Amino acid sequence: QEYTIRATANSNENDEDYDGLVVFKNYVESASNGTIAVELFIGTQLCSNGAECLQGVADGTIDVYVSTSGGASGIFPYVQVLDLPYLMADDRIAEHVLSGDFTRKMRAMALEDSGDMIRLMTIGNTGGWRNFANTKRRIAEPSDMEGLKIRTVVADLPQELVRALGASPTPIPWPELFTSFQTGVVEGSKNGITDIMGMKFPDAGLKYVTLDGHAYMGALWWMNNAKFTGMPEDMRRVVVDGFYALQQATFASPKRKSIAAYEEFVADGGDLYVPTPEQKAAFKEGAAPVFDWFKANVGRGDEIFDALTEAVAQAEAEVGAARAADLN
Amino acid sequence: MGALLLVLAPLRVINESALAIGRAIGIVAVAAMVIAILVQVFFRYVLNNALPWPDEAARFCMLWMTGLMAPTAFRRGGFVAIDTLVILLPKLLGSLLALFLLFVSLAVLVVAVQIGWSEVTGFAGRFATASLYLPTDMSFESWFRVPRSWMMASLVVGLIMLISVNVELILRAIVKLLGGADRLPVIPHDEKVGAE
Amino acid sequence: MLVWFLPLFLLFLLIGLPVFFGLLAAPGLLLWLNGQEKDITLLYRNVYNGIDSFPLMAIPFFMLAGELMNRGGITMRLVEFSQAMMGHFRGGLAHVNILSSMLFAGLSGSAVADISALGSMLIPAMEKQGYSRKFAAAITAASSVIGPIIPPSGIMIIYAYVMGESVAALFLAGIVPGVMVGLGLMFMVKIMADKYDFPVATKKHTWGERGQASLKAFFPLMTPVIILGGILAGVFTPTEAAAVAVAYALFIGLFVMRSLKLSELPDVLGRAGLTSAVVLLLVGAAMAFKTVVSLSHAPEAMAEFVLALTSNPLILLFLINLLLFAVGMFLDAGPAIIILGPILGPIFVSLGVDPIHFAIIMSVNLTVGLATPPMGLVLFVASSVSGERVEAISKAILPFLAVEIVVIFLITYIPAISMTIPRLTGFAN
Ligand code: NA
Ligand code: NA
Repeated sequence: QEYTIRATANSNENDEDYDGLVVFKNYVESASNGTIAVELFIGTQLCSNGAECLQGVADGTIDVYVSTSGGASGIFPYVQVLDLPYLMADDRIAEHVLSGDFTRKMRAMALEDSGDMIRLMTIGNTGGWRNFANTKRRIAEPSDMEGLKIRTVVADLPQELVRALGASPTPIPWPELFTSFQTGVVEGSKNGITDIMGMKFPDAGLKYVTLDGHAYMGALWWMNNAKFTGMPEDMRRVVVDGFYALQQATFASPKRKSIAAYEEFVADGGDLYVPTPEQKAAFKEGAAPVFDWFKANVGRGDEIFDALTEAVAQAEAEVGAARAADLN
Repeated sequence: MGALLLVLAPLRVINESALAIGRAIGIVAVAAMVIAILVQVFFRYVLNNALPWPDEAARFCMLWMTGLMAPTAFRRGGFVAIDTLVILLPKLLGSLLALFLLFVSLAVLVVAVQIGWSEVTGFAGRFATASLYLPTDMSFESWFRVPRSWMMASLVVGLIMLISVNVELILRAIVKLLGGADRLPVIPHDEKVGAE
Repeated sequence: MLVWFLPLFLLFLLIGLPVFFGLLAAPGLLLWLNGQEKDITLLYRNVYNGIDSFPLMAIPFFMLAGELMNRGGITMRLVEFSQAMMGHFRGGLAHVNILSSMLFAGLSGSAVADISALGSMLIPAMEKQGYSRKFAAAITAASSVIGPIIPPSGIMIIYAYVMGESVAALFLAGIVPGVMVGLGLMFMVKIMADKYDFPVATKKHTWGERGQASLKAFFPLMTPVIILGGILAGVFTPTEAAAVAVAYALFIGLFVMRSLKLSELPDVLGRAGLTSAVVLLLVGAAMAFKTVVSLSHAPEAMAEFVLALTSNPLILLFLINLLLFAVGMFLDAGPAIIILGPILGPIFVSLGVDPIHFAIIMSVNLTVGLATPPMGLVLFVASSVSGERVEAISKAILPFLAVEIVVIFLITYIPAISMTIPRLTGFAN
């Protein structure tokens, strides 16, 4: 083999990221006829957070790395656009958007801001959608959020969102979240269902989940640009197609995995609430200040915001047309 | 040997003062770490309102404590090593081995400081810290996000001080080898250190 | 090719290169020879990232708390309490020595702190009552290893961090093994006391006197309750518990016992900082070393090799006990755990040994190694505290070491000893 791609994900082997990497490795190694080998390092063997790992991608000690939007926001703050609430309606829209020019736009921005060192290859999913979950009560309207202490990561945008909806954001490290629910240090969180069940949060009292789907849990797949551009065109095609296969796998994986998680949550006596379209509209209205905050305070925020809203409008039109064609 | 002692004297003064300053800042850093975490405990459990910055601020202090205080430990012989062989060997061989080990250490430090410098000034240093802000003027109206490079510099500064100590130790080892041990001022030795 | 960094590291270590430099020089050199210059950056970066950690902050905090307790006259009250409880037994002061260590272990995470604090008080007192100096020093050294087994524990914080385990789970898992070492030593003292007719220390205290001694020792004895209680109730993380322990020790020293002066604080902070700086740098280097261990796929190769010998976990655990014991003779527990954890841990976990159980096996083994000749750290400290020669202490400590080895085997082959408390409290599966 001529090329070895060293790929790392900070999660574990139960995660969608791993599913994606397995597909990627399999595709690339077979489609390149063994010219490219993919070496997987799962967990924190090489680096343990976004800053450290992207540093590695920049200088080529790591070739491929998957980050959340939060993990990359320290250097590319505008990737948090994916955390903006209620912009993309559902999986079909999100997948259409992320497969199109929006991702290319973000790639161009990241290449510019990293001095052509870090290349965004694709955006997949990790864990479905973020929903509000809490230990206190069913949340049907924004007013139900009033006063709840909601755990967020240490980042501005999710904190602004929680504040805009009348709750109070509380930064707690992920490993401490379980005991924080138990002791009432926080009363709610914004996570996907697989994370909630994986961490056994219902055992700590987390009983109410509202499927508001306020943010798409995008997984950003980065690659060392020199490594990619240094390959001949036929191998680059294999890699690009490998990331396409990876993206498809991570789109599909959470849908499959979440079924059991939802069933388990309800079987444990959990309250699962789907807001009505009117209630969802009320949430979107309540969250409006966050959009202004984002455009004003995040570097290149307005640029990426426009790109996303434009892509969403286009996706809605195209998906709508496709759906209409399929209906009859 | 006279020339060696001539070089050694100012180096010793430089090291001793730099290390003393390092220790003083380190003491403040340890106190600040404790205070930051206690503030967090108080806000989280008493006021029910967790703050974003204490975790990172405390780590900031811990990194600088490590960078500034480790060189003192190195100079006092506090770095853990199995020194049986150096002691068991005949005196001359033992001294030569000790000198060789110091040169290996120096090589590690010199490579490390070069990488460290390029890390601080390079791409990685441009990352912002997650929660540390400083006011840019006295009115506390505009705030500036502290870059990660300010934390990363701790290790580089530590490495530079370690190199300076290492050079002093090499000069001392050579003087000893030439039989001038009695003309060397004593470095105060600390008790054995470790997590045990 | 890359795996040659392991033997090279061993060579560096044996010829006396400080562990910190060895952990970097050996993998660095091999990466360079292997044409992987770029990965040397990865090595450097993980030193820095390894130190930049919230859980590790518990190390300077617990060291600081221990220093403060020591200055605050707290050890004195623990000894008086132990004396009121056990002083009237035959071999009373030897029992007091062990019990004090068990109590002190709840405040401090270090064996060296234990000897320095208790040894300077109890060794002269024992000599005065007619014990030989070497026996007094030996029982002090033997019981001091309880310090890092009963929580809090510096080496368990390090192990948990390097191996990605829960500090709280390791702390809880260490309680019973630590108490077992203490009881085992008391048992041996009892046998020897009857045989050699050891003196009793005091007359039997009345329950009133015992109550008074308990009252005087109340504040120090509350420290482990606060630390463990807080962690168990989920009120704080081990790091926060450590900071609270510092505040508590300051409070007792300054206001309750009034034996600590504000002017002493810089010195105390400086000592804790200096000691922690060395440990943290070492942990950083270990994290970097571990990265190269991953890159070289060494654990897979080692596991294959080991499993070819035998795949019977019981035999392997026996062999590991021998290995750890041998390593513990030459290397301090912290560096040993840092070097061997990432290599040995995955092998045993893949064989079905619980990671928490394995952590306790390693920790107890290497901690007892601190008291084994020829290179045991606590033997040297005991020697400098007592003025007795290391050789004499080494001989006198043998019966106690035998007890500790028996306890190690019990812990190794009966997982329930370590696993019951963390399981009952939900900190382990
Ligand atoms: Na302890
Ligand atoms: Na003792």
